[in-house]
Amino acid sequence: MTAKLLLRYSPEALDKPILARVIRQTSAEINILHAELDATKGEILVGVEAPPAEIEKLMYLLKKNGIDAKKLERAVELDENSCLDCGACLSLCPTGALHTKKDYSVRLDEDKCILCEVCIPACPVRAIKITKF
Amino acid sequence: MVTKTYEGINQRIREGEAVVVTAEEFVEIARERGAKRAAKEVDVVTTGTFGAMCSSGAFLNFGHADPPIKLGGGEIYLNDVPAYTGLAAVDTYIGVTSLSTTKGMEYGGGHVIEDLVRGKEITLRGSGYGTDCYPRKEIETTITIHDLNQAVLCSPRNAYQRYNAATNSRDETLFTYMGTLLPNFGNVTFSGAGVLSPLGRDPNYETIGVGARIFLGGAQGYIGWEGTQHNPTKGFGTVLVIGDLKEMDPRYLRGCTIHRYGTSLYIGLGIPIPLLNERIAEAAAVGEEQIKVNLLDYGAPRRDRPVVREVTYAELRSGKVEVHGREVPTSPLSSFKLSREVAQKLKEWIQRGEFFLSAPVELLSRDSAFKPMKQIAEVPLVREIMTKPVITGLPDEPIARAAKIFAEHNFDHLPITDKQEKLLGIVTSWDVAIATGTKKKKLSEIMTKKVVVANEDEPVDAVARRLQQHGISGLPVTNTKGEVVGIVTTEDISKLVGRRRK
Ligand code: SF4
Ligand code: SF4
Repeated sequence: MTAKLLLRYSPEALDKPILARVIRQTSAEINILHAELDATKGEILVGVEAPPAEIEKLMYLLKKNGIDAKKLERAVELDENSCLDCGACLSLCPTGALHTKKDYSVRLDEDKCILCEVCIPACPVRAIKITKF
Repeated sequence: MVTKTYEGINQRIREGEAVVVTAEEFVEIARERGAKRAAKEVDVVTTGTFGAMCSSGAFLNFGHADPPIKLGGGEIYLNDVPAYTGLAAVDTYIGVTSLSTTKGMEYGGGHVIEDLVRGKEITLRGSGYGTDCYPRKEIETTITIHDLNQAVLCSPRNAYQRYNAATNSRDETLFTYMGTLLPNFGNVTFSGAGVLSPLGRDPNYETIGVGARIFLGGAQGYIGWEGTQHNPTKGFGTVLVIGDLKEMDPRYLRGCTIHRYGTSLYIGLGIPIPLLNERIAEAAAVGEEQIKVNLLDYGAPRRDRPVVREVTYAELRSGKVEVHGREVPTSPLSSFKLSREVAQKLKEWIQRGEFFLSAPVELLSRDSAFKPMKQIAEVPLVREIMTKPVITGLPDEPIARAAKIFAEHNFDHLPITDKQEKLLGIVTSWDVAIATGTKKKKLSEIMTKKVVVANEDEPVDAVARRLQQHGISGLPVTNTKGEVVGIVTTEDISKLVGRRRK
């Protein structure tokens, strides 16, 4: 099964190789989808390929090491049929998950979405929806 | 010298010979071969825009009920959205910003118009006061666009020539007609279709005038007059447009909600520009890097918002603009993709001989300017009503000092500043009350650091709204240097309102 975890680093945890260490302790396959790190905080979005028990173990290990790991239980979907490609959502999306193609159509890269939900009320025609997994 | 006539171009359209290109294509052609040669080769340049246009609406005629009812002077609701009743018995105007009485901003006049065009059933609820000729007082029925005698889209102001871009200097998110503006210059929004913007392609109004046939909501419509707030001297012209709603296509008319601002209608609108002479061609050849607008700070709640900088459409469209040395992401609010589609569709109509140009019977004014509202009373500024001088505290002072001040002076807010009077935080009587019995000693330990502030030059109304939004009773007032110069409370404001009423 694939799960999406949002990892929040405290400033103290930032310069330690925690993720690498934890990954070695599990058989989970981890894919970094998006990372935002600066001196004061860090957020990494990862996709995890592993059986449910292994995901639980991974989360336990991360938390023990001072990383707040949250499983994202929902997904954001863009209904391309009703989307106007107006772009009102673009500058609000913190990760670039909402982006434009060459022909100026607006698309959503679900892998990069951290479910902040800012885009949802900002869409004038309600083309972005939250769905539960 | 190139001179063409409307009749000449229409003859070529009839013969399938007319050369028609979109404005985007024309800019490229002119770049390669020069505007003069391009003027010779091209007959018509098509434009297009697709944006939320709040000054829009539709006239509808329901026909008479039996027994008849006079809705004029009464009330009309379409899917619970109030429509205008200052007309005769069964005529109405539904404006796109009118909000549903049951769904609020989720559904409004713009959505009613979209649903009509989609052929959906609409609930009509109305009442009248009853007369000898119109005895009936209430009506409730359902209608579709096919049941109406006329349904005419008629917007007093559409297709702004260009539009200023928006950003926000404040430390809170703002919800505006320019979309969601993130705090601390977090994003920039803009509207308009750049090179495709219809009025921007004929900024001297040599071809755009009363009676000109246009693309409106997927059908053929007309320019009816100059738009309200038409301001060609500043490069902000507008047009009044009119067209048959019954022929329109819901792809080009979309009801929308601008978050925490209101409802509106996205309209696809395109105007053909005949290249009658070289001057017109030159104006139509201007590239996006030459179309400049001001980037305004919507953080200032005044009519004349401060200009942050000048930006070009080319920069805005690139997705990032520089604001105070930082790259800031941009959001177009008009759909460039659909603007392109409108221009393309109009081009195809002309090429297929389905759309002919009509010479305007009257040109629009080129020298009108947009006046502000006449106000009989000046809006007071915060500095005129604030309490001053203000007593402030230092972070290292004991909590007991605040308690003493509150008791002696009968107020509840103590701004905490550094030695230069720069604001650091605020302590309220409530903070002091809940700190008693705890180990906390210094004011710095109990102060709120994220303080909502007002500037002394802001209008009182803006500050009243801020107090209400944050559910607080007072806030410190700072000058442009960030020094605390006073305090303004809900009480100061109610006193003022009392004074205004007298
Ligand atoms: S919820 Fe919307 S704004 Fe937030 S990351 Fe996902 S797509 Fe971007
Ligand atoms: S705001 Fe909504 S309609 Fe506009 S581009 Fe984004 S998803 Fe599409």
